[in-house]
Amino acid sequence: MPFREINSKMIEATVMPGQRLFSQRGAMLAYKGEVSFTPNMQGGQGGLMSMIGRRVADEATPLMTVEGSGTVLFGHGGHHIQVISLTGETLYVEADRLLAFDGTLEQGTMFMGSQGGVMGMVRGQMTGQGLFTTTLKGHGSVAVMAHGGVIEVPISPQRPVHVDPQAYVAHHGDVRNKLSSALGLRDLVGRGSGEAFQLELSGSGAVYVQASEEKL
Amino acid sequence: MTTYPGTGPVIHDPSTLPVDDNVNAYTFCVELKGSEWFLQKGKMIAYYGSMEFNGIGHGRLDRLVRTSFHSPLHASDWVVASGSGKMLLADRAFDVNSFDLEEGNLTIRSGNLLAFQPSLALKQSIVPGFLTLIGTGKFVAASNGPVVFMEPPIRVDPQALVGWADCPSPCHHYDHGYMTGLMGGLRALTGMGGASGEEHQFEFVGAGTVLLQSSEALMAEQAAGAVPHEPGVPGGGGAPGHQGQQAGAPRLPGQLGDLQRRFGL
Repeated sequence: MPFREINSKMIEATVMPGQRLFSQRGAMLAYKGEVSFTPNMQGGQGGLMSMIGRRVADEATPLMTVEGSGTVLFGHGGHHIQVISLTGETLYVEADRLLAFDGTLEQGTMFMGSQGGVMGMVRGQMTGQGLFTTTLKGHGSVAVMAHGGVIEVPISPQRPVHVDPQAYVAHHGDVRNKLSSALGLRDLVGRGSGEAFQLELSGSGAVYVQASEEKL
Repeated sequence: MTTYPGTGPVIHDPSTLPVDDNVNAYTFCVELKGSEWFLQKGKMIAYYGSMEFNGIGHGRLDRLVRTSFHSPLHASDWVVASGSGKMLLADRAFDVNSFDLEEGNLTIRSGNLLAFQPSLALKQSIVPGFLTLIGTGKFVAASNGPVVFMEPPIRVDPQALVGWADCPSPCHHYDHGYMTGLMGGLRALTGMGGASGEEHQFEFVGAGTVLLQSSEALMAEQAAGAVPHEPGVPGGGGAPGHQGQQAGAPRLPGQLGDLQRRFGL
């Protein structure tokens, strides 16, 4: 189910019978046709175990199921919206950045430590993202929110990308990430550059970066 | 300092500023040639030329106010700009747009309206918090993100609604499907599962245009003035048997209110 971008802060989704999509609660702006919005207790797909998993991982964002036939406009909080199309790969994104996504996508939770070991966990703590992140896998579209516009930076094996942890939005592909710190004597005496921590992403894929260092 | 590759910052002077048009998405330029504009207090950010800003209620402006300002109770929020020159309007980095009305009517959320020509008449809408403009002329409105125009029939989140034109029938729509049945009852009893946040919309049908802003971040409400306490005036509190909302419990936008009671839960 493709999302159509109406402008940088609003998307239109077409809902057809038999297809469903998930969206963040309260993010519907307007709709035409017969569409129902059901609060989703599990916070997404899967059964009770996935729900408990998400609760424990603090990735249980309030979601709702959108079903019926018609068109729905989504937007939230004046944030910019980036539509990402997935063709089989996995997208890693914080749950509270998810605006809407296809019901066909497979939703999961990932432990930061499994991507980058201890440093991954440190990274999660440092960037305020916690120890877990949400994964979406399969074929479909995802609408992701960001503060300020979003740019897509491709990652190739020869060219790792360094990103400010606060400006990081999401990434997909076969990417390893680690927190590289450039802490020096200057930081200890309060003369640091303010860029002591960077997220280093290497492998092949793409990372989405927002034009702001503000969290949602 | 460049804004985009290949273009430097644009420097304007009085001759290059546009006439009654947008300078960029966030700034609007009004040209005054002995004419007058109504504007909300504090929305002027700069001006060239010689202009006067007078609060409404001055004796001199009485005539103007009599013909085009019919919302006496919030007159203190508005000023009249007169003189000649160019004036820039902006509002908290929100998107600013101008709209032309030709013998038309348009109702807009009071916080979103920045300025209007005196050839338009401003009146309070029957819907609380909204203002109606009637006549021919130009007005300037702010919105969070660009304004999107939609045709009815449509249901709109209350917070995303900017205004509507020529639609005679804005009404409330409650989605009670989620409140009934076993799961709905469980939700209402335990509070678990929560509300989808989408059980209340404004519904528009008929011919017209509905204006949406692309986000749910509200502009600050402008006081639209209280309505006279008369029988038959909605919100006036004058009708017998009309209880109104419980005092001391202000209703938040998007809140369920006494919806549960209404469905007997």
